[in-house]
Amino acid sequence: MLEVTNLEVVYHQVVLVLKGVTLRVPAGETVALLGPNGAGKTTALRAVTGLLDIHEGRITKGSVRFDGREVAGRRADAIVGGGLAQVMEGRRVLVDLSVEENLLAGAWSLPRREAAAELERAFERFAILADRRRQQAGYLSGGEQQMLAIARALMSRPRMLLLDEPSLGLAPRVVGEVAELISTLAAEGLSILLVEQNAAMALSVASHASILENGRIVREGPAAELAADEDVREFYLGLGGDGRTDYRRVKHYRRRKRWLS
Amino acid sequence: MSNLLQLCVSGLSLGTIYALIALGFVVIYRASTVFNFAHGEFLSFGAFCMVSLCAAGLPWGISLATAMVLTGALGAAVERVVLRPMIGRPVFVTIIVTIFVGAILRSAIFIAWGPQTRGMPTPWDPLTTFEVAGASLLANSVAAVAAGACALAAFFALVRRTKLGVAMRATASDQETALALGVPVGRVFAATWFLAGLFAALAGVFLGMFPRSVDTNLGFVALRAFPAVIVGGLDSAWGTVLAGVLLGVLEVLCQGYVNPHLGEFGKNLHAVFPYVVMILFLIVRPHGLFGTREVERV
Ligand SMILES: Nc1ncnc2c1ncn2[C@@H]1O[C@H](COP(=O)(O)OP(=O)(O)OP(=O)(O)O)[C@@H](O)[C@H]1O
Ligand SMILES: [Mg+2]
Repeated sequence: MLEVTNLEVVYHQVVLVLKGVTLRVPAGETVALLGPNGAGKTTALRAVTGLLDIHEGRITKGSVRFDGREVAGRRADAIVGGGLAQVMEGRRVLVDLSVEENLLAGAWSLPRREAAAELERAFERFAILADRRRQQAGYLSGGEQQMLAIARALMSRPRMLLLDEPSLGLAPRVVGEVAELISTLAAEGLSILLVEQNAAMALSVASHASILENGRIVREGPAAELAADEDVREFYLGLGGDGRTDYRRVKHYRRRKRWLS
Repeated sequence: MSNLLQLCVSGLSLGTIYALIALGFVVIYRASTVFNFAHGEFLSFGAFCMVSLCAAGLPWGISLATAMVLTGALGAAVERVVLRPMIGRPVFVTIIVTIFVGAILRSAIFIAWGPQTRGMPTPWDPLTTFEVAGASLLANSVAAVAAGACALAAFFALVRRTKLGVAMRATASDQETALALGVPVGRVFAATWFLAGLFAALAGVFLGMFPRSVDTNLGFVALRAFPAVIVGGLDSAWGTVLAGVLLGVLEVLCQGYVNPHLGEFGKNLHAVFPYVVMILFLIVRPHGLFGTREVERV
């Protein structure tokens, strides 16, 4: 459904951030994109959703196709209208608007009547939001804001959802709730690309995963396979064999990374 | 007492006009962080359109509506052609650009309508007064207050209740998020400029009705609404409207009660009075009555 092929992105005409990224999200699947800070995960999402422009970024090579149509160069609102929604990093709730207005802002592409119906559906699914529908969104807790951000992205009735670090800054219990929500959405048939640093959470809900480091995909495979992989366990899940960092293995991993990329 | 009432009503009408002008500045600033120094020229353009349309024989109301829409279209065109490509540039660049646009518009208006002063047509005799409690209130003032109040009410209804209003506020709050949600931010910008143009034309028409008649200097009068923008808090529509009305009333009261006691010096004190208030605010309360504290000042 989403096919990113050999994508290169440059910021300010000089900073090469993505160095040939290839990524696929088949229809109905949940794919995780993992990687450390600064790897270029958010940049990849910006390239898919038409948000590079305002960051002075540009696609210099490769293609992004959604449903077989080239997305690169299309305007952000056209992309959302085409069924591709996203939840940005850091939730980005519109703090001075009410919960209801936040949701309605996500429904621009729908006619008025359908937007109202979609709003009721959102309140059914997210009872906490229904209780606070007239409250200013800035006063919600972090977890509630994340739910609002996801609910808002769903307002445009997307066929595919991109999530950028939805677990960021949330308590473990709330991370569990987010993971559960993602699984539910996936079960309903939504295709999902989940960007995460919380690899344990991401691998528990995804069927496939790719690891992005320094602008390149260094590993990919079925989620279960990656979750069982020694290197991934150690460096992304924090589950070293004996609990202590073994510097020889760090070196070994670095070498392998270089070789892979 | 009757004198006070009279002054209050003419102050209210001046204040309503300030509020309309200042609101135009603020909607544009809020949506796109552009400070539109060409705004005064929108006032002139609207007023001159009104004069010409009435002269062409159109009924007054239709002329007014047409002048407003034409000015709105001018605003949207300026946004689309000149400012859209400037998105993301530093604030001072857009300020210089709007000053430049203002100069071009001023020349164009001068070429189109010439230097002579015109009278602003009114459907009633411009000297009509109502006697209320011993005070005689000018029909022009009363009409300005009524029309301004309707326009402001319509604006707040639009912002609170419509899809466009939510989109405008979303864009003002966080542009990237609005884009990510599928709001066509460019069209929202154009809509805010259109609205600002509508208000500017309305303000220009009523401003032209007071002894001050229509000529190319009308544009400079918009600068007199500037203090309302600062006192109101730059990014608060409500604050701006309130500040505009208050400053208008204070200005007229100053003209009525303070000026006469200061002899030669007091002749034009009322004209600088709003600026004095503005400077006091900048010192004591720089975020204005209702502005956000972290808002960047220009
Ligand atoms: N607007 C920009 N201009 C220049 N460089 C940028 C810009 N945005 C991001 N970068 C750089 O691109 C690289 C990748 O950033 P990106 O935000 O995509 O990483 P990320 O994987 O999402 O990281 P994180 O996990 O911290 O969110 C970083 O080195 C960053 O400094
Ligand atoms: Mg990121």
